Amino acid sequence: MKTLRAYLSTLLIAALVITSLPVAAAPAAPQSMDLVSTQSALANDRAGADRERINEILARADVQEQLLKQGVDLDEVDARVAALSDAEAQQMAQQLEQLPAGAGGVVGALFAVFIILLITDILGLTDVYPFTR
Amino acid sequence: MKKLLSNARFAGVFALALLLSACARNPVLLGSTYETLAPLVENRDVPFFAQSEYQCGPATLAMVLNYQGVDTSVDELIPQVFLPGREGSVQPEMLATVRRHHKLAYPIRGTMDALLKHLAAGDPVVVMQNLSLPVYPMWHYAVAIGFDLPNETLVLRSGERRRHTLAFSRFDATWARSDRWGFIVADPGTLPEGISVRNALEAISAYEEVHGPQAALSSWQALVQRYPDSAMGQFALGNALYADQQPSEAIAAFRAATQQDSQMGAAWLNLGMVLLQEDRLDEARNALIEAAAIEGSWQARAQGVLEEM
Repeated sequence: MKTLRAYLSTLLIAALVITSLPVAAAPAAPQSMDLVSTQSALANDRAGADRERINEILARADVQEQLLKQGVDLDEVDARVAALSDAEAQQMAQQLEQLPAGAGGVVGALFAVFIILLITDILGLTDVYPFTR
Repeated sequence: MKKLLSNARFAGVFALALLLSACARNPVLLGSTYETLAPLVENRDVPFFAQSEYQCGPATLAMVLNYQGVDTSVDELIPQVFLPGREGSVQPEMLATVRRHHKLAYPIRGTMDALLKHLAAGDPVVVMQNLSLPVYPMWHYAVAIGFDLPNETLVLRSGERRRHTLAFSRFDATWARSDRWGFIVADPGTLPEGISVRNALEAISAYEEVHGPQAALSSWQALVQRYPDSAMGQFALGNALYADQQPSEAIAAFRAATQQDSQMGAAWLNLGMVLLQEDRLDEARNALIEAAAIEGSWQARAQGVLEEM
């Protein structure tokens, strides 16, 4: 995967560099008349446009792999990746492990932790135990 | 030794808690918020779906999506947003799942004042909280539906509680740990009151990536109506109009974008290319000359199109 990624990066960098060269360098190729998309204009507004575009293209494959690893059903993975914007896909690829995952589960905690959270609940800093109010 | 360590940790956390409690007593709202908002607000029409273990993400989405007329259930949403490996749901996928159901997810400004204003406007807000302490996080999603200003309490649909009331200070302490993250679900073509232009641009653009420019057209129109001086908004509207086979309207929107920001190369370039396709050659040349003169990502392309003319 690492080597594939490195290979893909090089390829993408080359592709982006070539496509961004002035037309004078390749007079034979007709100029594309596709409009500049809103997404690339917005991405251009953020910093480091070219590198970001490369990362965004690579990100989707990464996210797919990570979702599978996290136990998402195979037939759901594609739809979930497709629903992400480029920026979100990149965020997922880079920091899925660090992103907070809202769960709201019950804390099955050590006694010390229980006492601490009980105190912070009473102080009005946390909202773990309903019986503190 | 182990006992000593755990005692030390306990004392540390306790000291930290005392320190934090000073912050918690600070007033969390601006004076103007007290003056302008109704004292009691509660949107009772928001349906309640109780969460089962770890499923607060799917449960909150079920509440706000059903409120917006999407017929869906917690069981249908679990495979779409829940991450078994993390025993929870992450923020980007919460937003993405809303889009899968053909609604827009608009992040809100992270302040108590902004939150209350959205609630006063009748929009339920999905909020992310850390109910516990940063060292022992307990991440949670809930739906804020109202508030009681004189008593300084917020009303939420949360977890297994249909109506959970929380003091502003306690809620804000738990909300601050997620950097006060929250979002509103809205129909295409509507832009909830109080959403910033930047958040609106990103949200509509993300929707457009999934459903295409024609589906996003009405939302771009709503954005431009609210923020007519946003060059990026006019530009995006131009692209959607062009995709919808309305070149003259697209030209007007691109022109408006260049009037709002005369240094927006992408807008000059798109304006020039659509004019060129419409055989309005003089106007096209003028626009492309402008685009070719602006340094940046689109300069080379503009020069290329100009040379080919």
